[in-house]
Amino acid sequence: MSERYDVIVVGGGPAGLSTAYFLADHGYNTIVLERGSEPGSKNVFGGRIYTYPLDKYFPDWRKDAPIERWVRREALSILCEDNIVNLEYEIDRKPNGYDSFTAFLSRFLKWLALKVEEKNVVVATNVRVDEILFRDNIAYGVRIGDDKLEAEYIIIAEGANTLLSERHGLRRKISPRDIAVGIKEVIRLGREKINERFCLGDEEGLAQFLIGSRFGGGFIYTMKEYVSIGVIYRPLLNNQIEAKDVIEELKIHPHLSKLLRDGVPVEYSAHIVREAGYSDLMHKPYGRGYIVVGDAAGLILNTGFTVRGVDLAIESGRLAAEAIHKTPPGEEPAVYMKLLREKEIIKTLKKFRKVSKILSNERIYTKYPEYICQILDKIYTVDELPETLNESFKKAVGGKTSIIRLIFELLTMVRSL
Amino acid sequence: MKKMKVEERLTLTKFEVYGEPHIILRREKCKGCDFKICISSCPAGLFTLDETGEIKFTYEGCLECGTCRIVCPENAIEWNYPLGGFGVQYMFG
Repeated sequence: MSERYDVIVVGGGPAGLSTAYFLADHGYNTIVLERGSEPGSKNVFGGRIYTYPLDKYFPDWRKDAPIERWVRREALSILCEDNIVNLEYEIDRKPNGYDSFTAFLSRFLKWLALKVEEKNVVVATNVRVDEILFRDNIAYGVRIGDDKLEAEYIIIAEGANTLLSERHGLRRKISPRDIAVGIKEVIRLGREKINERFCLGDEEGLAQFLIGSRFGGGFIYTMKEYVSIGVIYRPLLNNQIEAKDVIEELKIHPHLSKLLRDGVPVEYSAHIVREAGYSDLMHKPYGRGYIVVGDAAGLILNTGFTVRGVDLAIESGRLAAEAIHKTPPGEEPAVYMKLLREKEIIKTLKKFRKVSKILSNERIYTKYPEYICQILDKIYTVDELPETLNESFKKAVGGKTSIIRLIFELLTMVRSL
Repeated sequence: MKKMKVEERLTLTKFEVYGEPHIILRREKCKGCDFKICISSCPAGLFTLDETGEIKFTYEGCLECGTCRIVCPENAIEWNYPLGGFGVQYMFG
């Protein structure tokens, strides 16, 4: 690695690989440094990718990208002790009309790395960057063990766990309040069982958000032959169950255990998720000689119903490449922030800034699911003395919380979403 | 599906274990800590209490999620990634 590069990209995840992809279009000699033994071997996500940036920038991506299933069914479910409340939206779109698909991130990144390598970019694996080298506050290279590699620009694409950025004071130390831990298990169930049990056609997928009193937030994504299930564990909230046990807790719920019967777990994974949204966005995700992209810059959007990471990573990579292209030598790539604003990425994050507060409110995982299940249980339990909705509501909620507080909280929530 | 313990669940995931730990626990800093939130929040269950009530940590099943570094209120965890190529190897992710 004695050759001199124009740009060094630290991290071969969605943001890093995308930046390299777009830099190649501008003619930069770029190298991606990835600590894993293969692209994707250190990456974890929930299970869904939105198509719009791929449609825009990756011609013919549908031909060979590792698409598992097109998301046809969107579900939001509340799991109580033994019950489940479902809200479902089924989309019937023409082929090629679906706007998201389920995937495995490790496999998707192997594909993305190939697209990058096709543009003669080197993706070097097994390389852990230990330090970003600065001289007079200008980033000029990276240190890998005893080796040094220099370049005009360093792209920091280290992901959600911002070890390097924090080490160099580019970003404050992340607070436990601002994170959740995504804990996931991939279960092999077979295509037929998945189609049958989840009411799906061969290419059709389900994306399901879960809220549960025992485990907090969670998700289910159906793949071709596998199901990914996971929990968004909030260390400061979920105190009655330890993180290592939450997956089992989810799996033993009667609803899930039926769906997943005979399934064979094949992988257990975990990664932190930055949950603070707008307040966690770097004020200045660039400096002389460097730009921060993707999760590392705080570019992740949770709207309360959908989570977007990969698409924002791709967009930020594209804008970082453009910023480098537009910045005269020796100047700060401040145009990066301008581009993020112009593309309304910053505005979108700001628009959803209150969501993280809702998602870190313990009551939405404990109290509300309980109320909703109790009310529905009363409504649908028929005996000689049926109850009105109002009576059921009062029985479920009354005494435990003031109705005024509940209404106030609900209103605040609705206004923030 | 039968219930699985975390030790068993970790055998599903592929690891390339390096000879030296990438995370170092400064146990002297744990003495004054009442929270011990590392124990409850590690998804691999790698932090445990030994007979004397001190925190024990093993790095071999580390999923490299980064949680312990962030939640530790005592800054007792010196966290680094394993050397390039080592550590967890996600096949699905």
